[in-house]
Amino acid sequence: MINKSIALKVSNLHVEFDTYGGVIKAVRGVSFSIKKGLTTAIVGESGCGKSVTVQSIMGLIPKPPGKITRGEVYFEKQDILKNKKINGKDIRGSKIGMIFQDPMTSLNPTMKIGDQVAETIQTHLGLSYSNAFKKAIDLLDLVQIPDAKQRASQYPFELSGGMLQRSMIAMAVACRPSILIADEPTTALDVTIQSQILSMLSDMQKENDMAIILITHDLGVVAEIADEVLVMYGGEIVEKGDVNEIYNNSSHPYTLGLKEAMPTNIKGEKKTLKPIEGSPPDLFRPPIGCSYFDRCPVAMNVCEKNRPETYEISKDHHTNCWAHHKYATNSFK
Amino acid sequence: MLKYTIKRIIQGIVTVWFIATVTFIAMHSVPGDPLTGERGMSEEIRQNLEQKYGLDKPILEQYIIYMGNMIKGDFGISFTQQNRSVNDIIREHFPVSATLGILSIVFAALGGVLWGALTAIYRNRLPDVVVMFLVIFGISVPSFVIAAMSQLILVNINTSFGFSILPVAGWGTISHMLVPSLVLGLGTMAFLTRLMRSSMLEVVNADYIRTAYSKGLPAQRIFLKHQLRNAILPVITVIGPAIASITTGGFVVELVFAIPGLGRFFVQAVQQLDYTVIMGTTVFYGAFLVFMVIIVDLIYGLVDPRVRLE
Repeated sequence: MINKSIALKVSNLHVEFDTYGGVIKAVRGVSFSIKKGLTTAIVGESGCGKSVTVQSIMGLIPKPPGKITRGEVYFEKQDILKNKKINGKDIRGSKIGMIFQDPMTSLNPTMKIGDQVAETIQTHLGLSYSNAFKKAIDLLDLVQIPDAKQRASQYPFELSGGMLQRSMIAMAVACRPSILIADEPTTALDVTIQSQILSMLSDMQKENDMAIILITHDLGVVAEIADEVLVMYGGEIVEKGDVNEIYNNSSHPYTLGLKEAMPTNIKGEKKTLKPIEGSPPDLFRPPIGCSYFDRCPVAMNVCEKNRPETYEISKDHHTNCWAHHKYATNSFK
Repeated sequence: MLKYTIKRIIQGIVTVWFIATVTFIAMHSVPGDPLTGERGMSEEIRQNLEQKYGLDKPILEQYIIYMGNMIKGDFGISFTQQNRSVNDIIREHFPVSATLGILSIVFAALGGVLWGALTAIYRNRLPDVVVMFLVIFGISVPSFVIAAMSQLILVNINTSFGFSILPVAGWGTISHMLVPSLVLGLGTMAFLTRLMRSSMLEVVNADYIRTAYSKGLPAQRIFLKHQLRNAILPVITVIGPAIASITTGGFVVELVFAIPGLGRFFVQAVQQLDYTVIMGTTVFYGAFLVFMVIIVDLIYGLVDPRVRLE
């Protein structure tokens, strides 16, 4: 893998939610780093803690009920979780931008598109309203919205989903952030718009050497644009590494299960979709051992009570699975 | 927009006509008439009077004559007040009621939005609990009780200071208007507080608020431009009907505070079956409310672009 400098480092992040039913341990000890100019994809099924992880980085976890109990997030050599640095305007919106899943509800319905883009510029770059609005039109043009000038004076209900997501991107990249977090940016859009949005994101990345964190369910999208992959399960990272390594040398039974559950469209190839049986662990009382134990086809006795260690498969590829222990009786390959 | 406004005004006129007709029919279905009094009068005098006022004509003809006069803006002469036309009564007393009503509405709307937003921000904490308790109080205690209570308190305050800080009753200066409009607007304010609170709680958790935070905007900008603006929409919707309940419900407060408003004539006229005053005040109030509702609907379009019409 190309050696790139680190843009953001998360270490041992724990996030909990205090609900009526008890405390949900949504993220349990997540550590990873994001490199400049590369796209890191976070994959995993719903409720595995992908969104909570990135929202804690952005300081967007509603508190209460959310609580970051442990962990650090290093950005530009300082821990941004400490002293609530992220909550100010210094980082959020200017150095780290974010786009969300549903563009239809993520924009303020009573504000003009142009104004919503302009207010980011006004806040961070200190421009006057009229200059910020002009710059907003340029940005809308940049994200390939036709008739940007006219669209800027329209309201969200007058634009299509694809155009709204483009406007979201314009807002997020308005101050040329070094990191862009995209939380399922294309889930609510149709496939043609999806590929346009994704290619636009990678173009912007190349231009600004921007790091992208991409949360997605779609392994096809991951294969297409990601450089590195984090596979999350039950609030933990079970496998992380270079995208080719993850695909061609999957070293965790969950990653393998995800791959097998994916449909193929290669002509002539016949494949039966194989679902992962069972359901994800109860995060009110997360398992002591490996969180994938209940569903794992190659589980051993050790997996039930002992949290798996991290094993290095190669320099850029790590996994948390007992099957890689030298005395392991089961192997899933 | 213009087309929409014209359409609404035409609808309003039909509504007022409907109000007038129903009132006319209801009024004439009540046993007795304005000439029925404690003192008996001879059959001849009665016939003369009926002829003079046109009460001997068939109902339909009376209706047509009345409507014809009404379109010309003439509500007729009161049966019970000496030599006063209904137009004079309205002209003299409506401004008083309107001032009281508008003050109350302003107070109720500002208070409701403010308290509602505050309780939502301090959800389940002390300010929320205290205000929500007062809100239940404000909704459930009728205005005449609060009116009398406030007078009692005012009297005590004034006596303890030895001079009159705020007048207990009467009309004329701003200090006269203060307490009655507070009392009159209290119930509506309590109701609007609840509405604003629930609307605000919904907005606070909306996706676009999360977006606003992710853009790194200052908290006060998020509050004013994103939360308040969207949370206020349902409040504006009910302001129209709230104006209706305040202006028509004002007569009790007017009575307690000895305010020479229109409400008193409204109630008295019904008791005395003073045909012209009943018709005049009802139609006038009806037209006023229809007009206010149209205004509120037009304002709604300004606040929420989604209902703005070409």
